[in-house]
Amino acid sequence: MLTERDIVARVKHVTVTRLRVWVRQGWIRPPAKAEQGFTEADMARAALIRDLEDKLGFDEEEVPVLLNLIDQIHGLRAELKGLLEALDDLPDEVRATVKTRIAARKRRTR
Amino acid sequence: MADDLYSVLGVARGASTEDIVKAYRKLAKKLHPDLNPGDKAAEEKFKQVTAAYDILGDADKRGRYDRGEIDASGQERPQQRYYREYAGGEDGARYRSTAGYEDLGGFSDLFGDLFGRGAGARGGGQRFAMRGTDAQYRLEIDFLEAVNGAKKRITLPDGGTLDVTIPGGVQQGQVMRLKGKGMPGMGGAEPGDALVEILVRPHHVFTREGDDILVEVPITFDEAVLGGKVEVPTITGNVFATVPPGSNTGKTLRLKGRGIKRKGGKHGDELVKLIVVMPDRIDEDLKTFAEKWRAEHRYDPRRKLREQA
Repeated sequence: MLTERDIVARVKHVTVTRLRVWVRQGWIRPPAKAEQGFTEADMARAALIRDLEDKLGFDEEEVPVLLNLIDQIHGLRAELKGLLEALDDLPDEVRATVKTRIAARKRRTR
Repeated sequence: MADDLYSVLGVARGASTEDIVKAYRKLAKKLHPDLNPGDKAAEEKFKQVTAAYDILGDADKRGRYDRGEIDASGQERPQQRYYREYAGGEDGARYRSTAGYEDLGGFSDLFGDLFGRGAGARGGGQRFAMRGTDAQYRLEIDFLEAVNGAKKRITLPDGGTLDVTIPGGVQQGQVMRLKGKGMPGMGGAEPGDALVEILVRPHHVFTREGDDILVEVPITFDEAVLGGKVEVPTITGNVFATVPPGSNTGKTLRLKGRGIKRKGGKHGDELVKLIVVMPDRIDEDLKTFAEKWRAEHRYDPRRKLREQA
């Protein structure tokens, strides 16, 4: 578990105040709230929010919209990955059928 | 490229330099391409072992590798671990949202409940998280409640209640923030705050100017002439104030410390403006006296008015 101090020390330009605001806004949701224990993912997310605000210039009303979209993308990616893994376990002829069907759909929608 | 250089050489993390040299030589003898002509696997392994030795055999590089400043291939580690590196993993599951394809579930009974909110144990069900909005309320209180402080209860539109402790000295229009008493947050985020705007009803007797209380007190004609003690209302009850002899309408007495409590514990003052009031009926006595008095003590309060007009 990482503490507030760890994150502030390791993610440049993030202060305790900024970090707390982000947690308060629900942009960062440490798994163990009581101990203020953050994970590596929370730290990377803090760096992402910092980039969105400082480097890309989004404001505090835009950041949650972006985070929401980013979270949706990763949700979709995870589901897609699960789907592909499940397909990969199927017998060869089923996989071939699925592949043909997907290719056919792509041609149709192109 | 292997993740752990120590395991490539088959030594412990705390191994001495000698041990590392020894381990490398042993492996190199076995794997060297010239000693294994035609063996591609051995050549590949030899390259890995040599690359590991290039870092671990050099005290400076080994130190940087141990501290995580360079990776197993000797490359500088990127300063920032990007969020996407975690977003797909177990640690990132908390944040993944399935809100985007709620409507993709309508295929068939077989696949219909696979995705979206009904997706079960994948752990990717985190919704959009947002702090609750602040709720705005207005609270009308009496003048003396504003001055002395009070506990009030607001009844909310949904039937709930909100207890508000009003500190003494609260100002007209002041907004009090009650942390976490606003709308509930979404997706595990905090609730918003309640913002309570204070409206102070005016008082019949007292008005406020900063930390001072202003009050107008009528006095009789004889009190104005002779002076004396008069009972005066203050925000904490009646007190006696000394009216000096010859007090005119408009004369202001300052009652120290009878005003509103300031932050530092001191109080403002009460300013008592005297108003001389003639009796309702002028009787013969007063009339006779005034006529007699006028004959001998004529004075001109309007001289300045004439000169300056």
